Amino acid sequence: METAQQTPAPGSLSWRLSSHPITLLTYLFFRISSLLTYLFGLRLFTSNFVLIFIITILLLATDFYYLKNIAGRRLVGLRWWNEVDTASGDSRWVFESADPESREQNATDKRFFWIALYAQPVLWVLLAVVALLSFEPIWLTLVAIALVLTLTNALAYSRCDKFSHATGFASNAMYGSGLARNLASGMVSNWFSRGGR
Amino acid sequence: MAAMMPSASMANDYDNDALERDLIDPDDATLDDLDDPIQGTSDRAPLTGNIGSRSGASTQSYLTSAVGGEDRRAPTNTIDETVWETLSRDLLAIWEKLKQVLWPKYLLGGIMQRGGGIGAAERGEADGVGGGLGGLAGRWPDADVILQGGMSEGLRDWDLWGPLIFCLLLSLFLSRGAKDDQKDFVFSGIFAMVWLGEAVVTMQIKLLGGNIAFFQSVSIIGYTLFPLVIASALSATGIVPMLVRIPVYLVLIAWSLAAGISIMGGSGVVRNRVGIAVYPLFVFYIALGCICFIS
Repeated sequence: METAQQTPAPGSLSWRLSSHPITLLTYLFFRISSLLTYLFGLRLFTSNFVLIFIITILLLATDFYYLKNIAGRRLVGLRWWNEVDTASGDSRWVFESADPESREQNATDKRFFWIALYAQPVLWVLLAVVALLSFEPIWLTLVAIALVLTLTNALAYSRCDKFSHATGFASNAMYGSGLARNLASGMVSNWFSRGGR
Repeated sequence: MAAMMPSASMANDYDNDALERDLIDPDDATLDDLDDPIQGTSDRAPLTGNIGSRSGASTQSYLTSAVGGEDRRAPTNTIDETVWETLSRDLLAIWEKLKQVLWPKYLLGGIMQRGGGIGAAERGEADGVGGGLGGLAGRWPDADVILQGGMSEGLRDWDLWGPLIFCLLLSLFLSRGAKDDQKDFVFSGIFAMVWLGEAVVTMQIKLLGGNIAFFQSVSIIGYTLFPLVIASALSATGIVPMLVRIPVYLVLIAWSLAAGISIMGGSGVVRNRVGIAVYPLFVFYIALGCICFIS
């Protein structure tokens, strides 16, 4: 009885169930700490604006980097980056996804990851509204940067997830020659793009 | 079905071919035209290849247009690397970019063939100060030559760590010199000005047809702020007297400008528009240098 209560159901939001507890905790720490620094700096100790600003920006940047390069691929097996073609100067998105067969996805990690990923921009939008209403234009710079950083990550990861589903489905559905696989992924992609529009 | 397609269109092509061959007057036929079996087999290979590549192309165009991206699994797998590998690779990339600023090698390789970063800066300063407008006009052909070069691989994967850190340092140092009640505004003002300036200069280069990505250019300009950070640090500590500041700061501004021009090497700005493309960068550095000077 006691032990049954101690161990939560699989997929629930408890860090003990995570397969990468350190990564998960660091990820959540960076996500939350930038918000907390901003809130406490804004409401309680506004005496040193510059210090709070710098700390918040650095935490935001670290959070962005950690989510993009480490937390994403360790927790959900996804990664995105932006590549520049030196010849034409065009930039394009590149998405990487772990092979679902070779890698077991942890449901807890997944839920934590996606909730934190999408909750952060929403919270910053709320803070932006608060900053607008209370006429603190000096803080708006910070909130705008925070919004840009968190929204970029949220959009890129949601796209990346879509891509990984599309290719994963295609390769599962048709184990054939490379040609058949190519056609299949093209077809699935078409459905997806039609659904997306 | 995919396997059926080539053969079906093959048959079609073959029928057309046969029909046409029937219409040809036998007297006109050469030995090559009559060589039926060989032509048949040589037709087949390009046909199947065509279909394969066409399907690949359609996937590719979907991936780059509809959602705007590309999915990668096998070729460059970075999903399973260790944290240390990620960190060291990115730190090395940052160091690589910083090196390009410390040592504007396109300038050195293309024109000077001597000296270090400071040497290049002194040369740039001599140009800027010596001739006034005439000197400026005389400098653009030099930049012209440099801009023909290609962009180095190290600058291809941009990041915004350099711009962020340098921008923060610059704002911090400059706000140190302000009065207590103005510190916050100076800090956020400089911070916003640097980012807006970078964006405006980049937009201008883009509008002139430079083939450089937006954030790539922002990243490069951000890294070239390094000499100006030194200038602002000198101002904040106040160890340099006012009179000595002028030449020192001019050297630092020219160093920034030299690094900026040299790294923008591959931006592909059209030859007779180089002056227009680099001028806002010049104004940007001068403005920041002046703020450093008066603070």
